[in-house]
Amino acid sequence: MRRVGITTTVPSEVIFAAGAAPVDLNNLFVGDFKRSTYIEDAEVAGFPRTTCAWIKGMYAACLDHGVGEVIAVTQGDCSNTHVLMEIYRMRGVRSIPFNFPYGRDREMMARQMALLCEHFGVTQEAAERWRERLNAIRARLWEIDRMTWEDNTVTGDENNLWLVSASDFDGEPEAFERRAEEFIARARERKPLEHPLRLAYIGVPPAIEGLYQFAEERGARVVFNETQRQFAMPLGGATLEEQYLRYTYPYDIGPRIEDIRREIERRRIDGVIHYVQSFCHRQMEDLIFRERLGLPVLTVEGDAPRELDARTKIRLESFIEMLAARKGAAPWA
Amino acid sequence: MGVTLGVDAGSREVKFAAYGDGEVVFRAKVDTVRFYLTCRNGAGLDLSKLPELAGAPRWRRIVATGYGRNNVNIHGGATLPEIMAHARGAVWQTGLTDFTLVDLGGQDTKVIAVKGGAVDDFVMNDKCAAGSGRYLENIARALGASLDELGAMRGEAAALSATCAIFGESEVVGLVSEGVPVEVILAGANQSVVKRLAPMIARYRPRIIVATGGVAKNGAVRAMLAEAAGVEVITPSDPQHNGAIGCAVA
Repeated sequence: MRRVGITTTVPSEVIFAAGAAPVDLNNLFVGDFKRSTYIEDAEVAGFPRTTCAWIKGMYAACLDHGVGEVIAVTQGDCSNTHVLMEIYRMRGVRSIPFNFPYGRDREMMARQMALLCEHFGVTQEAAERWRERLNAIRARLWEIDRMTWEDNTVTGDENNLWLVSASDFDGEPEAFERRAEEFIARARERKPLEHPLRLAYIGVPPAIEGLYQFAEERGARVVFNETQRQFAMPLGGATLEEQYLRYTYPYDIGPRIEDIRREIERRRIDGVIHYVQSFCHRQMEDLIFRERLGLPVLTVEGDAPRELDARTKIRLESFIEMLAARKGAAPWA
Repeated sequence: MGVTLGVDAGSREVKFAAYGDGEVVFRAKVDTVRFYLTCRNGAGLDLSKLPELAGAPRWRRIVATGYGRNNVNIHGGATLPEIMAHARGAVWQTGLTDFTLVDLGGQDTKVIAVKGGAVDDFVMNDKCAAGSGRYLENIARALGASLDELGAMRGEAAALSATCAIFGESEVVGLVSEGVPVEVILAGANQSVVKRLAPMIARYRPRIIVATGGVAKNGAVRAMLAEAAGVEVITPSDPQHNGAIGCAVA
């Protein structure tokens, strides 16, 4: 089967309509036991140490897994992807740019969709049919998300892992849907989790492992994964164009903040973890969130994928216990 | 009620404070690496092997914090989050309940907003030890100055731009080769600590600052901090043992 690498969430409907399977290169990188080697490989190839670990990892994982074709998102995600695309091309990987137009320009989005369909030789109608099909699968993810905050039967990390997979549905939508249904059935049998504190996780998905578990062991559960939830297109849309214009992540921060605030309210959240990636321009967004969210924010910085480190543990546990003290439920009091 | 031993396992030194009958009755410090090498005993840590604690009163309870909190598994010890320990220590030492606590440690810098005697919010430095105690130690050593000499330098200050605790040293070597006086470079190092702190402090609009940690013993940094923030900077009598005291009084 034709495999098409993607550097972040793109209209995967078009790829599926072409009979191909999308492969999220981030997942390919982070899910591989060779992930540390991948970063070293990229540095040996000449990537600066001060480049985001995801870029380095995607570079090496793509070549190592022989993914010969990549859709690179060159606007709305990460400007480093521009050069990553140039380097892919130099290494013989066919690279197609895709832009989420800043300002949510409808005509520019229509043009992007048309170009993507043209590249894959599919009609927009065929892609729209896949939108309906994938939305039925996404509905399972929306249910997992609802069960996380409303039924309290899904952990923060389970929520993270399911929603983050919405970028490529592991390349096999049918099998993915079955697994999601099985998971939902199992989770329905669980007793509600009882954690005194409820957290939001905002920003890009974590490179750090064990963050959710560490927080839960200390009485705080993440019940909202902002970007991961956006990957599952929770705001819908009657057409592909509309759906990918409602998707909050790649555009200006205003609608992201509205989305986060709405969910903070609905999910009764006590505090926010803002995850930032070392060397990412999105680190600057921290100052906006701190001013605009109106809740305590803990900024956690991650670089290469690894276990939660001592520095981050100290920050997390102090944050959780500060929130507990505010709520009058300090475990150490 | 007996004596409680507070333990603050920092990146450079492990601090101890024993508290009983309303006062701190004993203090000690041990190099962090030596602490772990001496005390490691199976999966936990055994304090009885530390000569520094030989003169300590018999304690009934141990409360530990610091980098070690997740690694310090002291036999029979409880733990307290670091931010809480420092806030409690500063409240106990100063008698104040509303202030901004600036803890300048070996590699971490913490700014904690204390309201009504409790932690209201806090921020810690990002993944970089520039402007930390370790940075100042490196610069002083590179220039052959003692920490006391460093702490007196607050006149004309060289502009130090390095954002890295290691490259900071090569920047200093460059300035020496250009003929910049050592006092001016040392004052610049002190100034750079305050510059790094300023954005962390600004968000809390402090009315009074309590400075703790090893760097709080540096008079030049305290004076420059007061000037930059435009508020009084108070240093408790024992800034370096503040976290250990916070544990001991908990």
